[in-house]
Amino acid sequence: MKSFEYCTAEMRWLFASLLLALLSVVHARSFNSSRLLVVTEEITEKDKYSTFWGDLESRGFSLSFASPKSPDLSLFKHGALAYDHLLLLPSKSKGLGPNLTPNMLVNYINANGNILLALSADQPTPPAISSLLLELDIFLPPDRNALVVDHFNFDKASAAEKHDVLLLTSPKPLRNGVRNYFEVDGSIAVPRAVGQVLGNASPLLAPILRAPSTAYSYNPKDEAEAVEELFATGSQLSLISAFQARNSARFTVLGSAEMLENKWFDAKVKSQSGVEGATANRAFAEKLSAWTFQELGVLKVGRVEHYLNEDLPKGTANSSEVGFLDLNPKIYRIKNDVHFSIEISEYVFTHLVPFTLPPTDELQLEFSMLSPFHRIPLVPTSRTANSTVFTATLTLPDQHGIFNFIVNYKRPFMTNIYEKRTVTVRHFAHDEWPRSFAISAAWPWIGGIGVVVAGWVAFVAVWLWSAPAEDGLRKRN
Amino acid sequence: MRLPYTLAVAALSFSSACLAASWSFDDATLTVSSKGSGGDGGVKEKLSPNSPSSKAITLPAVDTLKIVLTATEGSTGKRPHQAFLTLHEPTTGLEESFPFSLKENGNGKVEVTQKDLPYQLLTSKSPLKASLVLASFGSSTPYASHAFDLTLQLDTTAPPTAPTAPERYTSKPVINHIFKVQETSGPRVISFFFTIAVLAMLPVLFGAWALLGANVDHLGKAFGSAPIAHGLFLGSVLAMEGVFFMYYTSWNLFQMLPVAGVVGTVAYISGSRALTEVQERRMAGER
Repeated sequence: MKSFEYCTAEMRWLFASLLLALLSVVHARSFNSSRLLVVTEEITEKDKYSTFWGDLESRGFSLSFASPKSPDLSLFKHGALAYDHLLLLPSKSKGLGPNLTPNMLVNYINANGNILLALSADQPTPPAISSLLLELDIFLPPDRNALVVDHFNFDKASAAEKHDVLLLTSPKPLRNGVRNYFEVDGSIAVPRAVGQVLGNASPLLAPILRAPSTAYSYNPKDEAEAVEELFATGSQLSLISAFQARNSARFTVLGSAEMLENKWFDAKVKSQSGVEGATANRAFAEKLSAWTFQELGVLKVGRVEHYLNEDLPKGTANSSEVGFLDLNPKIYRIKNDVHFSIEISEYVFTHLVPFTLPPTDELQLEFSMLSPFHRIPLVPTSRTANSTVFTATLTLPDQHGIFNFIVNYKRPFMTNIYEKRTVTVRHFAHDEWPRSFAISAAWPWIGGIGVVVAGWVAFVAVWLWSAPAEDGLRKRN
Repeated sequence: MRLPYTLAVAALSFSSACLAASWSFDDATLTVSSKGSGGDGGVKEKLSPNSPSSKAITLPAVDTLKIVLTATEGSTGKRPHQAFLTLHEPTTGLEESFPFSLKENGNGKVEVTQKDLPYQLLTSKSPLKASLVLASFGSSTPYASHAFDLTLQLDTTAPPTAPTAPERYTSKPVINHIFKVQETSGPRVISFFFTIAVLAMLPVLFGAWALLGANVDHLGKAFGSAPIAHGLFLGSVLAMEGVFFMYYTSWNLFQMLPVAGVVGTVAYISGSRALTEVQERRMAGER
């Protein structure tokens, strides 16, 4: 009897601790939004990148490693993403396996997953990858073996003969008005890269790192002697390309997987002119992975407010509600003065900071019905601890209807902002028109009315109390 | 022991200096010719590796630009892996490269027509900078130098079709659309003038009445016989004008109508009494 009771008490304690452990596991999983899956064919290969994994883990990512052939690999679980980010290392086989078909990768992006795809010139690119990139308007060389070389900007220390390790300076801003998130101090070594050409039509594509003007891509197997048919040369070759989908999910194509390896993170390189130095690959890999995995270039919108910017009506001027503002009313009147403000923060690695516009760029407010009738700049007016408030004032157009306040801010490398607030703009009410005594052209008419009124009253008085005219007109027979 | 050692080092460095050859080219000629003439007409220029050509080359619409050269590594003719003619547009920084087709001994040519050039280079406002790039694997110093300036003569009858401008995410132009222009009144001076003119008509009217013999002589008599009626009637006429004035400035219909009703009733009753008094005077022959 006694022993039986002892057993059940122990078992109860065991169950309780098990339940607690289970609960804590469930708790940790649900708040963890930095799950990164690395897909690599040879699990032993991952040791070559151990510094890079260490950097990622120190930034809060939880890494899992899988092979594309493993049967239980799945990007989705119960309809939601199983991993928030995906890093694909080059694989030798023809494709990425049945669980990572191009269709599934496209679905993954549509579900807000971020992908960093690394290619290498040492391994032929699988046709599945080529067709996936073609969907995004990124063109790979038609030969599956392709290598970017530059006889003018190569690393003399490691590639003095083959010239296949490019030594590039830090990338410049893409164009005026775009912020450069990839600037590093020092030169970047890009060993054995696959060059890409970006289609011109898509606004979603942007090159992160372009090849210098003397670089070109060739097939080492077939074109070892001379290159006759060029795929692309110079700055038309993009070594690292970025694609940001309309839902702000990011897909980066990294032409050289080898530049993430430990040995290139602090390699000693020698440029063509003999200048020696260390590579900035580690800092660049940090910036690249931070951008792709939504730690850099992420914008968040706080409060969006609009209100009537005109004088308060006479009655409420002295009331206790002097500070009262009707925020975000649903209806305005034509030609009202309206004040609009939007609060934007930028997420940088771990916390939100006030958002500053890139120089020469403008944040614009559109007031539009079917197409914008006003497009005016929003200026930063105040700052809180972690956001900037941009405001604009405008006079509503002289047209009634249903209008929208739209802030449509889409730029390369920044998440897309699209905020729309719908308001009704009504016409003047019958008692809101300007009074006639305020219209200077009406004064003669008002004077005329006054003259008529005075004449009428005088006529009534004269008619009631006049005596007949004495002589002249009355003397008639 | 030192001397032979240093001599050996010197010999080795000398030979390695010989080995570190540099790419260059020889016998380079540039011709611009049209298909039929076979090279007789058109431009013919010699290019030198050390200095760019001072003559500006023009490429008309149907002609072909041809460069023939022999690439050399050191002093021997050899085929480099990369032999390009690069055309560079100075304002936008865009460039396009055309590969030479070379034989083993480094001899070869490249031909460029306007059809091969992309739209952005064709429509360049300033001359394109053409450079020759000769480089290959190994330790030889590569060659890249500005060779000549190229101006394009476009065919004015068939201008190049502009490709549709690609959509790019950038800030868009400012719009301030005006639906209806704000109505304005005419100059205030003119309004003043006409208001004064209208108001001046009142004294003119009274003057005209006075000339015709208007008077209020029976005022005393009327007020003597029926003071309340006449007083109320005149008061109600004035009050009615007052009601209309209040309605014009501040009252709404529902405030004005009751007052108008009261004033109207007073006017009706007092008025009928006042008119009775006027009838009495008329009967007495005083009107």
